[in-house]
Amino acid sequence: MSDKIKAIVRFWNKPQHAAYLFILPAILVLSIFTVIPLIGTFIIGFFNINIFFTNTSFAGVANFMRLIQDSRAINALGNTLYFTLLQTPVQVGVGLVVSVLISKSTIFNKFCRAVFFIPVVCSLTAIGIIWSVLLDGNIGIISYYLLRLGVQSPTFFRDPALAMPTVAVMTVWANFGVTMTILLAAIQGVSLSLYEAAEMDGASKMRQFFHITIPQIFPALGYCLLTNFIGSMQVFDQVYVTTGGGPNFKTETIVQYIYSRGFTSPFELGYASAISAVFFAIIAFLSLLLNVYMSRKEAGLS
Amino acid sequence: MKTSMIREVLSKIFLIFLLLIIIFPFFWLLVSSFKNEKDIITYPPAILALTYTFDNYVKVRTTIPLMAYLKNTVIFAGGVVLTSSLINSLAAYAFARIKFKGRNIFFFFVLLTMMMPFQIFMIPLFMQMNKLNLLDTYAGLILPRMASASGIFLMRSFFVTLPKDLEESARIDGLNELQIFSKIMLPLCKPAILTMSILTLMTNWKDLLYPLLLTNSTNMRTLAAGLALLVGQNIFAYGPVMAGTIISILPLIILYAFMQKYFVQGAIMSGLKE
Repeated sequence: MSDKIKAIVRFWNKPQHAAYLFILPAILVLSIFTVIPLIGTFIIGFFNINIFFTNTSFAGVANFMRLIQDSRAINALGNTLYFTLLQTPVQVGVGLVVSVLISKSTIFNKFCRAVFFIPVVCSLTAIGIIWSVLLDGNIGIISYYLLRLGVQSPTFFRDPALAMPTVAVMTVWANFGVTMTILLAAIQGVSLSLYEAAEMDGASKMRQFFHITIPQIFPALGYCLLTNFIGSMQVFDQVYVTTGGGPNFKTETIVQYIYSRGFTSPFELGYASAISAVFFAIIAFLSLLLNVYMSRKEAGLS
Repeated sequence: MKTSMIREVLSKIFLIFLLLIIIFPFFWLLVSSFKNEKDIITYPPAILALTYTFDNYVKVRTTIPLMAYLKNTVIFAGGVVLTSSLINSLAAYAFARIKFKGRNIFFFFVLLTMMMPFQIFMIPLFMQMNKLNLLDTYAGLILPRMASASGIFLMRSFFVTLPKDLEESARIDGLNELQIFSKIMLPLCKPAILTMSILTLMTNWKDLLYPLLLTNSTNMRTLAAGLALLVGQNIFAYGPVMAGTIISILPLIILYAFMQKYFVQGAIMSGLKE
């Protein structure tokens, strides 16, 4: 008996066998809690299922047909794209400009780097609470000063036209520290001799920025754009806290719509899954498009 | 020469302006958390008040179940950090340093899950947790996060940099595979584990949608989810909410003050995945 145990131990102690034991927990967790639910999204979308599992039935493509005519879903998709188009370029732009300005490691610049990252460690719930009070139409100190400067009754999160841009700017405020940090690392990796050579040729700082810095950090820039894009498409937290999708659904995003479809009455999990599946396809398609575009640009630059 | 001076000055002004924009809301929050309610909702609003009080930090415990939120957040985020750093490092070690059949396929599988946003599969995940009776439990919050593709990726990129013959000499010394991992490899990658742990801690501490979905009783909520639900767009008692917000962000800010290097490293490392 003990010989048998020893043999088993010896078998699993061979590195090429032990490896399976080492990856087993991770593979199990990822399979059960990511892959199975992911497959589930596409299957459940074809059913009528509610949260209490009463009246479950096969729906065929009915959920998907319904989606095409669902004006609230189309509105949410539009809002999400609007947020993404506002947030992503501004965040990457601000991150890029700031990272270039503070690329030299002086004491002042190091202080800037440390401070600009602080919002990143705070939850968007906390940040949302802070900004919704600061920008409150009645007691908000920023609103008050803007009023004093002559801006007509700025209510930001409660203003149908301003709500989404306000959420987008707040998101940039909260997250540009990440973009800045990634781009800063890329900039510091650019060989100094390139700048020295450009300096010798009398190239201006602007020219150096566009002809050395940008091409050299292009992969990092592309990465920031792509992750920011994908992250923006999934926007939820900051909207949930500051506007709750209002006023008048003007800031309701896709993830928020999926959430309210599935988790508020009448709890249509099947339909919510169908939206998720279509949404996944949209993100995948747009990401691919962006990726191809960036690769072409990169090839053109070098 | 002159234009570079102007540029220097302009860039300094811009950066100082940006510093103010970042610092002011935190400064204002901190000051407000010590104000009396009437000084917060006074019109016209003022940054400072004449009198300050510690009341909000006392009241917050009765107006908001903040201590429960804090406890839940620590258990959830802490539990995820402890379990995932072990599970991720084990897998990363195997992927980085052991040749085995199907390694590339398994690693590709892991990478594939990295690109799947949680929002896409949250509904089936919710149904699954419901079926497993894990909704509203710590286990239900921690289990799905015990492994993460980005954590495995981050650790793997560290393990491949270690010298090649490390495990050979350990095998000759008679250590078994698990001992090689725990006695030789782990001590060498303390900085990487710390970076991954901080990144994991931060992600889960801040997370809103995930704990919002998987918990439903008030005393199981985390800080981010509890405050968002209870406060959201309609703040009912400003003072305690300000104090609660401070308490919710302070632990990570303090940690950041001491371990800035690892926070930054984490941001960069998660940015390196191709």
